[in-house]
Amino acid sequence: MINTIKKVPLLVPLVLVAAILAITTDTFLSAGNLENVLVAAAILAIPGIAMTFCLAMGEFDLSIGSTVSLAGVACCSALIAGQSLAFSLIAALGVGALIGLANGLVITKLGVTPFIATLATMVIVRGASLAYTDGHDQIVSSPGLKYLVAGRPLGIPMPIVLAVVVAALGWWTINRTRFGRWVCAIGSNRDAARMSGLPVDRIRIAVYVLVGLSGGLWGLLISSQLQKGNGQLGLGFELDAITVVVLGGTALLGGRASVIGTVLGAVMIETIRNGLNLLNTPPAYQRISVGLLLIAALALLALRRREKRGTKPNRVPARVQESAA
Amino acid sequence: MSTQTTTQKPAEQPVTGSRSPKVSLGRLWDTWGVTALLILLLLCTPAVAPGFLEIENLQSVLRESAYVGIVAVGMTFAIASGAFDLSVGGQLALTSVVTLMAFNGGGTAAAVAAAITTGLLCGLVNAGLITQLKVPPFVATLGSLFVFRGIAYLLTQDGPQTLPYEHVDSPFAKIGSLNLAGLPVPFLIMVAVFAAGWVLMRRTAIGRRTLAYGSSPSAARFCGISDTRIRLFVFVLVGLTVGIAALTYITRVWTADGSAQDGFELKVIAAVVLGGTALKGGKGTLIGTFSAVFLVSVLNEVLVSQGVESAYQRIVLGLVLIVALTIDGLRTRFAAPGSFRRALRPTS
Repeated sequence: MINTIKKVPLLVPLVLVAAILAITTDTFLSAGNLENVLVAAAILAIPGIAMTFCLAMGEFDLSIGSTVSLAGVACCSALIAGQSLAFSLIAALGVGALIGLANGLVITKLGVTPFIATLATMVIVRGASLAYTDGHDQIVSSPGLKYLVAGRPLGIPMPIVLAVVVAALGWWTINRTRFGRWVCAIGSNRDAARMSGLPVDRIRIAVYVLVGLSGGLWGLLISSQLQKGNGQLGLGFELDAITVVVLGGTALLGGRASVIGTVLGAVMIETIRNGLNLLNTPPAYQRISVGLLLIAALALLALRRREKRGTKPNRVPARVQESAA
Repeated sequence: MSTQTTTQKPAEQPVTGSRSPKVSLGRLWDTWGVTALLILLLLCTPAVAPGFLEIENLQSVLRESAYVGIVAVGMTFAIASGAFDLSVGGQLALTSVVTLMAFNGGGTAAAVAAAITTGLLCGLVNAGLITQLKVPPFVATLGSLFVFRGIAYLLTQDGPQTLPYEHVDSPFAKIGSLNLAGLPVPFLIMVAVFAAGWVLMRRTAIGRRTLAYGSSPSAARFCGISDTRIRLFVFVLVGLTVGIAALTYITRVWTADGSAQDGFELKVIAAVVLGGTALKGGKGTLIGTFSAVFLVSVLNEVLVSQGVESAYQRIVLGLVLIVALTIDGLRTRFAAPGSFRRALRPTS
């Protein structure tokens, strides 16, 4: 029990927040509301898990919010053009994967820093999405697309099913496969990884494709929820995805990844958002609370690191920490 | 002072000695490359956009660029020290809202004081998070971006703060609209901030220490440079530039709420990076930043005059960023001491 808490430090604050909400509101614990929270968390966890790989590698992908928009637009416009549902879904995922591939190639082959490369693709993809839709909504009414969010196989909401599958795959990949170890190895020391003969560039490209794919899926889920696609979808989503991962305890500087932490991070954020809604606080407080949460989580991590330093030698040299930050 | 003499020598290193001195063309490009591109663009622009050279239009380009440029000075210091400040958009929104509130309550002097104070306070908050709570700058400023914007939203719950029209002739409103000798005041303020920034970076100990710290924090620490002081200096400086920028911004648009200038941080970072300041720290060029700010706004102006929609303007901006960084990446790879074969290998 103690071990579990140590491994997943988010568990305690999450239970605390839930307990507070259960006491202060009558509606938080109702089945309908809990389901809403979990569905929202599931949708957020899916890109979060892919982003976990990226941060474990010590890098970011800022373009995922724009990917959400372009993927949603791709799916909706394919449906509007009379294509089959399968084609539209694959088009959206394909758009996501292509954006990821472009990110990976620009970063590894052209040597552009990930931060700037994905910043540029974020602007470009958003522009492409706005240009393609000409600023209009692409409204669809497709029961098949709706099923992604509203469907209930075995009575469980579809997003939760998807998130569980993605989380299981993600956990297994990070903890049980060579690829996962490679990703963490690159995150803890890229030069060492290269010198031990890992195909560093190919792994990095693969991770960006993965993040792109998850962005495509995220776009599908959002479009399914709203039954439309447009150039404004997913504004600022990149920060949500990164926040979830950081809250979950994945080291910002790479080398360590916690898929379970990411999932809990998503649940935490959506619980707080839901709670603030139930308590009728203005939306501004939601932003403030997410920001404070992020800072608090990192401050706690830094505190724990300092405590540990007393007993164990610090494995990461100070210079690596500083320069990566 | 003994610390000064010991710190200045290593500080010299990152500025000039990072690659072999033979490649002088490369070093020239570092500082003046973007400026050359800007001049090239300026020479071509009248051919495609005849209206560009009209005095009104030039003035509006200068005025529009000012607030981005002013904050870019602070951001150049931040990036040269090896850190980002992602919260400048939130800072600008919050400072603008507070400034307008102060103006409506107490007039011009109160507004100016409020702008500077709010900016400085925002910077202090960031510095405190980073030095006292030991949160990495990227996340600390990401978090405070949410917080600053949130507070700005809270303050404007009953509608955005505005500058009432009857104050059109007040000295405060004039900051944004007045021209001195044909040059808009915001632009003159921007030039002053750049000049001050240049002196600070090249002619003072703290500026050199910032560069030294950016190029190698641990080496800088061994030379007795204090992390806390560098972080404090850099982030408070960013806050100060935001305060000044808010004055030129708010007197131009006359209204602000929590959503003011969404995505501002990216605009500023793009300008600094395009200007040639190395993302990994240790190298900062304010001349480059200055030219890059105008490169982006002139490019936008050209696109607008050609009837290119704003959606495509984003695409062009993104591509310019990638191309610039690719050239930079290739150039440093080939100019770095070491064999040609090694240079051809992908960067790590």
